[in-house]
Amino acid sequence: MKRGIRRYGIGILVVYTWLLMACSSQPTDTTKVNQQPPIYPDYINVTIPVDIAPLNFNVIGKGIDRVDVQVKGSKGGEIHTNGEYADFDIDEWHQLTEQNKGGELSITVCVRKEEQWLQYQDFKIYVSPYPLTDWGVTYRRIAPGYEVGGDIGMYQRDIHTFNEYAMLRESALPGRCMNCHTANRTDPQQLTLQIRGEGGGTLVQIDGKQHWIDTKTDTTKAAGSYAYWHPSGNYCAYATNAVHQSFFVGKGQRIEGYHDFSNIVLLDVRNNELILAPELMTESDLEIFPAFSHDGKYLYYSTSKACQVPAEYLKVKCSICRIGFDRERGLFSHEVDTLLNGPQDDRSYTLARPSYDGRWLMYNVSSRSNFPVFQPDADLWLMDLKTGKTRPLTEVNSKDVESYHNWSSDSHWFVFASKRENGMFAQLFFASIDDQGRVSKPFLLPQRNPHKFYREMFDSYNVADFTKTKVDFDARETQRQVFSNQHTPVKIKE
Amino acid sequence: MRELLVRYWKWGLSILMGIGVLLFWGLGFPHALSYQEQYQLFLWTTDYFWERIGIAGGFADWAGEFITQFYYYPWIGATLLALLYILLQRAVASLLPSSLYLLSFVPIVLLWWHMGNVSVLLSYVIALIMVVGMMRIMGKNGMIIDILAVLIIYWLLGPMVWLYAGLRVVQQGWKRLWLLAWVAIVLLLFAVWVLVQWPMTMVMLSMTYYRVPMEVPVLQWLIPIVIICLAGIGRYCSNKKFGKNVWFGMQTILLIVLGWFAYHKGFDRDVYELIWQDYQIRHEQWDKIVKRADQYVVRTTFWSNSVNLALSQKRLLADRMFDFYQSGDDALIMPRMRDLTSNLPSAEAYYRLGLVNSAQRYMFDIQESILNGKKSGRCTKRIVECMLINGHYKPALKYIDLLKKSLFYRGWAEEAERVVTADSKTREQRINDHPQLGRIRQMRFKDDFLYSHAEKDKIFGLLFMNNHDNKMALDYFIGELLLRGDVQGVMQYMSWAQQYGGYRSMPIGYQDAVQCIQKHGNLPGSMYGSYVKRMTQK
Repeated sequence: MKRGIRRYGIGILVVYTWLLMACSSQPTDTTKVNQQPPIYPDYINVTIPVDIAPLNFNVIGKGIDRVDVQVKGSKGGEIHTNGEYADFDIDEWHQLTEQNKGGELSITVCVRKEEQWLQYQDFKIYVSPYPLTDWGVTYRRIAPGYEVGGDIGMYQRDIHTFNEYAMLRESALPGRCMNCHTANRTDPQQLTLQIRGEGGGTLVQIDGKQHWIDTKTDTTKAAGSYAYWHPSGNYCAYATNAVHQSFFVGKGQRIEGYHDFSNIVLLDVRNNELILAPELMTESDLEIFPAFSHDGKYLYYSTSKACQVPAEYLKVKCSICRIGFDRERGLFSHEVDTLLNGPQDDRSYTLARPSYDGRWLMYNVSSRSNFPVFQPDADLWLMDLKTGKTRPLTEVNSKDVESYHNWSSDSHWFVFASKRENGMFAQLFFASIDDQGRVSKPFLLPQRNPHKFYREMFDSYNVADFTKTKVDFDARETQRQVFSNQHTPVKIKE
Repeated sequence: MRELLVRYWKWGLSILMGIGVLLFWGLGFPHALSYQEQYQLFLWTTDYFWERIGIAGGFADWAGEFITQFYYYPWIGATLLALLYILLQRAVASLLPSSLYLLSFVPIVLLWWHMGNVSVLLSYVIALIMVVGMMRIMGKNGMIIDILAVLIIYWLLGPMVWLYAGLRVVQQGWKRLWLLAWVAIVLLLFAVWVLVQWPMTMVMLSMTYYRVPMEVPVLQWLIPIVIICLAGIGRYCSNKKFGKNVWFGMQTILLIVLGWFAYHKGFDRDVYELIWQDYQIRHEQWDKIVKRADQYVVRTTFWSNSVNLALSQKRLLADRMFDFYQSGDDALIMPRMRDLTSNLPSAEAYYRLGLVNSAQRYMFDIQESILNGKKSGRCTKRIVECMLINGHYKPALKYIDLLKKSLFYRGWAEEAERVVTADSKTREQRINDHPQLGRIRQMRFKDDFLYSHAEKDKIFGLLFMNNHDNKMALDYFIGELLLRGDVQGVMQYMSWAQQYGGYRSMPIGYQDAVQCIQKHGNLPGSMYGSYVKRMTQK
């Protein structure tokens, strides 16, 4: 009897131990796999700033039910996570990145697959010596549709955590479209945005106070859209245009976006006067995507010959030009420099974005179009403003669209939208640039459970920009102003 | 029997009403239920639940969507609706004495009237039932309970909390009048602090009850007011004796009159005719559309689009197109409209023609035009089909994943996922072999260029040139020329159409058109001639 009990007892113990080992949530008896882990997002060898939100990731593959991740810093520190996916503690992550500023993190990934623990090759995440001091990013989220915006919204995201906040959603202004929110060099104390539709207009918000302006006049064909602040904060440049879409019948590119007219005007926000320059309001050309230089002495913009679009959509080739600006007198010079000649190079150069330190000019290059976001071949390029040398940013470009890029306030980081994942939904990526112009491998905007998040996200990220601080935005006041439809008309400066 | 009738006459009437509701929606208006179902996509996930109840009225919205998903099978939907109507009627009846039992049907008739409006959402009905039903359990609770109840009811059921407060005032007397002020304060606080992304009108009066934001139909609040009045009458008259037959007679007459108004004012025949057409298109019931088109005409582009699509699917377009009302040169395909219904027949026509990108565009924009921001199972499924045809598998998988979380699209989505995730050779073969997807793949353009609505006649012609099996494109090409009155084009391409159209003899419709053109419009009895005349007069 006793022997029987003992025998059964030992048997139960063996089975229990075996079960415990087989189902262990911690790696035991790992088998090395001679490859890097198939993780989503691809964070292998990316460079991150200190204090960024944890780079949580999922390991993709059938039969994987447990993920164990060890992160070791080259300058010390270690964190560990174990679960369905790599989900790091925010404080621990911040502490580790702080400790390893300018160093690297070594990531060891083990997965339990069909009761067997596998260990992949370690990979690195580099911690940049350049901090990203901005609070977060602002962006528009919009379904990647055609002509109807749907449940569009402007949001801000704390890039040090996973928190996203709605600034203004379509639900607040039913039936209206909102676009092109622009802060002054990432400072949301000065921002502008446009509302289209009934009661729409141009919002200029300074120190939290909303001013609603009607920028459409008899002289300007449309209300302001793409905007850029003068560094002084006294002026804001707007493109006034009409955007259209045409649609392909084949199986490749879906949409061709274009503007059939466009000019650039300058608003003096101190007295709501519009400053018009004949060089920026030509009939023969379309002037679009204004951007002031870091010192405010030049305005960069794109220009293309007026084509009969959509029939001549292949002929739309933009150049990037700049024109001098006298801040004191509020006057543009009459000399226009062509920095990049689109027709000559058989390319289209758009969305010039000078870095705020005056060192670089980042822009879009595509084979055609003045609306790069729909061009699959749209890439980011960089010009060294000291030497005038240009190069494609191969470190960040993909086979699909890269566009809507913007600089961080210290100009060592940039954010851009890319459709590389599926050709349809734009996602936000971040990359750093050092003083020599070396650009790091970009990383996707972190999310707590990134695979689930991006798989269930049916919006495109659009017009992203850094924001120094959290934007103070009064949606209720915006509703009141839009529904009242009483906006201040602008005057044309004589 | 008589004893049974005496004892159970109330339940008997309620069940009778339920059967009436079941037959009305299930037999008479299944298309109305299908219409509601196609503008939402209920997901069986906890995330979806939490997302829904993240705003005021969210629980009512979630529960309403939960029930509405069953409208996919209209008889199930009609049965659930019948149960909801019975629940509401019984809840209202509990506020009334037996002698006024028939008055409990008044809100039901008004609700029926209200639900004739296609933008009314089921969350409204859920909120109504739950608030009235709560009166049975609230009793003589103290202030604290009411204070908390207002907060909870508002968050779960939305602005129907006004009804709660009104009924509590009636139930507990004027001493509870402060409750209305409390509701106003709560709603204002929510408006200022929590629901800033919603207009004040919605926060106070509608939230999730109506598909069109900021619109508040009169009946939406007339029904709660009537219920409050009935509760008041119930309380006042609870001890009064009435001449039974007289009262019953009066109540019956009231209900009949109200019912007549409800049906004739609430259910716009033309609107429901178009919804019926769309329902038949969704289920590919082409014969029904053609047959009905002989009997009832709604002079709109939507109607023409639907009838022409049905004719084309039966290869009757060449013969009979001008036997029916044609709205003009948009009678085959409508330009894009910014609403959730108008473009549906055009999207279906694009799809069948092989203009896959255009079909996807219309379906996408239709979905984005759903004003309460919901997705559409029907549209999403069609978007996935378009992506599969065009080989856009990565984004297709995202949408397939979404459909997999629904109840009635899950099976289809799982099958689609198996196709997409198969190895590339198997995947392509399965799509090419699919009777619909494979055929449309063959029909679509091989070269890429920009679509132009103004030149859609040329597009149809090129589409036919692209694949001579695409007879629908040929029918649409000639049809478009005829609609535009392009005499030269018609005469030029008619022999071509005859040669390639696969007709045994020249279709009667074309014969009529050619003769009419040859006689400069002076052909008595010509259907095409009367169309041209009408257009010229326009």
